[in-house]
Amino acid sequence: MPNKKIKIRNLEGLFNPKSVAVIGASRDHNSVGYGILRNLNSGCVFQCKYCKPFLGPIYPVNPYAEKVQGIKSYASILGVEDDVDLAIISVPAKIVPLVMEECVEKKVKAMIIISAGFAELGEEGIKLQDKVSDIAKKSKIPVLGPNCLGIIRPYSNLNASFAPAMPPQGNIAFISQSGALADSIIDWAIEARYGFSSVVSYGNRADLDVVDFLEYFGEDEETRVITIYIEGIKNGKRFMQVAEKVSKKKPIIALKAGRTKHGREAISTHTGSLAGSYKIYKAAFKQTGIILADNVEEMFDIAKTLAYQPLCKGNNIAIVSNAGGPAVLAADYCEQSGINLPELKKSTLNKIEKSGVMHKAYSRRNPLDLVGDALPERYKVAVDTLLSEKYVDGLIVIQTLQTMTDPEEDANVIIEAQKKYPDKPIICTYMGGHFTKSGIRLLEKNYIPDYNDPKKAVMAMKSLIERFQYLKKK
Amino acid sequence: MPGWISQEKALGLMKKKRFPVIKTVLVKSEKNLIKNAKKLKFPIALKLVSSDIIHKSEANIIFLDIKNDEQLEKAYKDAIKNAKKYKKKVKIEGILIQEMVSGQEVIIGMKRDEQFGPVVMFGFGGIFVEVLKDVSFRIAPVERDMALEMIKELKAYKILEGIRGQKKSKVEDLVDIIRKTSLLAENDKKIKEIDFNPVIVNDKEAKIVDFRILKD
Repeated sequence: MPNKKIKIRNLEGLFNPKSVAVIGASRDHNSVGYGILRNLNSGCVFQCKYCKPFLGPIYPVNPYAEKVQGIKSYASILGVEDDVDLAIISVPAKIVPLVMEECVEKKVKAMIIISAGFAELGEEGIKLQDKVSDIAKKSKIPVLGPNCLGIIRPYSNLNASFAPAMPPQGNIAFISQSGALADSIIDWAIEARYGFSSVVSYGNRADLDVVDFLEYFGEDEETRVITIYIEGIKNGKRFMQVAEKVSKKKPIIALKAGRTKHGREAISTHTGSLAGSYKIYKAAFKQTGIILADNVEEMFDIAKTLAYQPLCKGNNIAIVSNAGGPAVLAADYCEQSGINLPELKKSTLNKIEKSGVMHKAYSRRNPLDLVGDALPERYKVAVDTLLSEKYVDGLIVIQTLQTMTDPEEDANVIIEAQKKYPDKPIICTYMGGHFTKSGIRLLEKNYIPDYNDPKKAVMAMKSLIERFQYLKKK
Repeated sequence: MPGWISQEKALGLMKKKRFPVIKTVLVKSEKNLIKNAKKLKFPIALKLVSSDIIHKSEANIIFLDIKNDEQLEKAYKDAIKNAKKYKKKVKIEGILIQEMVSGQEVIIGMKRDEQFGPVVMFGFGGIFVEVLKDVSFRIAPVERDMALEMIKELKAYKILEGIRGQKKSKVEDLVDIIRKTSLLAENDKKIKEIDFNPVIVNDKEAKIVDFRILKD
């Protein structure tokens, strides 16, 4: 592998700008240039509680208007008296190089080219994109896009995109080769209260590519886990080199599209990229410690647990449940994925029984079935005792809803237990929906991941075990 | 245009790089046949080599388990006759005669990927690769540990550990071939594809039986 030292690019102008110009800011509600400006000055087009307006100066650039959305407009970025850190470009493709030259002259720190009409269009577009690449290379100014959605950085109150809204703040970075997918993920994240440190859509990557963002998030303090949706890679060797380095610091979870013949055809007409055989990508991911997700849901499921919980330092998991069925399912999934369910020692059972709160029919084995009428006190004894045992490395807690079940109080028991045993992961499966919602929110607010299906909980636990083993090996 | 290099060149290259090819002689004319065969131990296999014929078994130009000179001469004549029957103006590069070895058939290969460079492949022969797609890949460089990992990763790995009273196969020798394949691909960028199919492994050794190398 080539051992070229590649300097990490400074992307502060992109993720943490002090001022922003929108070139192609528009008064037309249905245009992209309108949405971008609106996103900046109010946080979102579709309002929600996570949307926050950008706090620094915003400069619309539009030669035909004096004011756009009530903000003073400029005929050219060169007309702005003060410094501009970030230039967002949303003008017809043909004049993008011209606008870029002006941005270079203005000495902006970063550019985002939202405009489409480049490599994805074939021959003509490729030529135009080459111009974009050349300007970026010569000026050394980082350029995102073209043909991208932009970036959203909730920590900087920055929605530099035409995504309809801003997701909650969190510790997961999402790098997406598809802008539209990012849009939908944001909408979902608002509903699920799923937090992101950043969302990046990198489009045609005339300059900045997925590796630059991997490197950036590898160092980014707000990011604990990196997720990527990827169609094709330009330079596989460099990707592997960077991924291997970043994997040692933070988990990377990848979802690869274009695994089948049809999928690949859709890609080449879509982003103009070449998709290698999925098996080769799988090998590359495996060799660099990247966790492979099969679908969108799985990627964010795993990311949540890796961001919230400590790694699992062994392969021995205990299951606590107030119902037989889901516990048996969880046990099946554990065995199928190579997780060991240790037998509970006599001394453990003695401690549990001494509490005097157990039902006489409780299971006395792993999975520990507390029986359907379990109140929070039973959960407390079971969870605390199991976590205190050296031979238990992590815990899966299952709750089904019965007349006496108290989801919120059970959640408090689990939250307290995690404080007492912060080095052992806990993953919950509150099965249900409407009446368990408040308990789930409480858990997740305290960084205890919850899944509605034991299979997902087991998979998440597996990712904590494998991540620990990976780091140990390295 | 990339093309498969001649069997003669491929054999030479593999010997130079110390790949464990089964004892093989390329015969160019009938009069040298018996003399050359003396270098080998019966039973031997005979295969006609021609770039015009891709599927050897379809053209009936492979003869196995030849036990003596007489059978060998007949096989030689039949091979040429069958090749000409298969294609009128067939170009014959020569005749390969090889010792025979028994054991488990596996496949080791390499393909240069546009994005990732040399990708090394390991799989079990026959139906395992065709029907079950039980193969593993690694991107070069593939070192010993990684090579062993790719072998162990396969569902059919247990076969190599010895099942139903069979002896354990010499996996180390396979590891060695995988590693050398990776090395060859890294050092010679003109090689686009390598195909060792089959490699036969038993409790004593692993031997490459058929080999093809695609070059730019």
